[in-house]
Amino acid sequence: MAGASVYSFYIFDRHTECIYTKRWTGPQSIPQKSTATNALSNGAVPVSVKRAMKAEDDAKLIFGTIFSLRRMARQLGGKDDQFLSYRTGEYKLHYFETPTELKLVMLTDTRVGNMRTVLYQIWATLYVEYVVKSPLAPTEHPRGVGVANELFEGGLEKFIDSIFTPAQ
Amino acid sequence: MATKAARIGEEVWKSRVDKINAEVVTLTYGTIVAQLCRDLTVPNTINKTDYNAVNKELDRMGYNMGLRLIEDFLAKTGTGQCSNFRETAEMISKVGFKVFINITPNVSNWSKDSDSFHLVFEENPLADFVELPDDGRAQDELWYSNILCGVIRGAMEMVQMQIEARFVSDVLRGDDTTEMRVTLIRIIEDEMPPDDE
Repeated sequence: MAGASVYSFYIFDRHTECIYTKRWTGPQSIPQKSTATNALSNGAVPVSVKRAMKAEDDAKLIFGTIFSLRRMARQLGGKDDQFLSYRTGEYKLHYFETPTELKLVMLTDTRVGNMRTVLYQIWATLYVEYVVKSPLAPTEHPRGVGVANELFEGGLEKFIDSIFTPAQ
Repeated sequence: MATKAARIGEEVWKSRVDKINAEVVTLTYGTIVAQLCRDLTVPNTINKTDYNAVNKELDRMGYNMGLRLIEDFLAKTGTGQCSNFRETAEMISKVGFKVFINITPNVSNWSKDSDSFHLVFEENPLADFVELPDDGRAQDELWYSNILCGVIRGAMEMVQMQIEARFVSDVLRGDDTTEMRVTLIRIIEDEMPPDDE
């Protein structure tokens, strides 16, 4: 999948809470940064706070979307039906849910194919191994405690890099 | 259905599970129970064990294990949602128990409305070499392998089933069989996101 890129990745737990967020920033986000810094001098909200607020809002928005889509898929396609992805002009959202109602969501650009096996792999080989089996992580993860540990983050980065080899 | 579960259990057990010596498990578990029996005493006594408290603590420990174990179980076996409780029972016995402790307790004694069943343990690796304390009470009050009830309860809760599991007989107490009763209480509904004001 050379040339394709991944934008962000979220995990929601069975209590509908976002317990993990990761964003990959492309080079196009740099000019936006400088305009945001200018706004700061006018007494606006600091850019770091703004970005954190936006990330939280994004997660809520995404959860609302998948929650409704998932319900619609089940109502139309039977109770075992799941939606796999949807696409807009700008991005594609991939979705995978485990029987324990852990929901994995990935946003990529529109050219990317089916990512279901990739999300499954992230869950089975990274989340289960490094988060669920970590004796230091709590059993459940209110506010994401214990999810973003070094092994999980490192593994995720490496795995995603191996799929989305950088363009050039 | 039953044979499919048995096949999955056999295959995962053979190819995808790291194994350790069974005696290590037996002895470690025995040490935990013995320590609990020493620690949890009836208030205002020095060495009169509160066996009810031990049962409860074992169940709680199992519950916390079950909450995590289910993810490993699902990832290893690649199984999805069960279509009914009978299928769930087969999965617990022929895949769950098989994969993690290499036994397959028999499923029997279904209630009329298919919401409760017995697991009959012909072998129980946790209870090898075990004799209950000879204090006249342990035989009637301690459920030695109670951790298993907690494990099942925790694991089922994560897949939206609230169940109750408890032992009804144990060969350690002098009964003919070791049996656990598992009862489905309710299916847990999806949680809704909190309302934004």
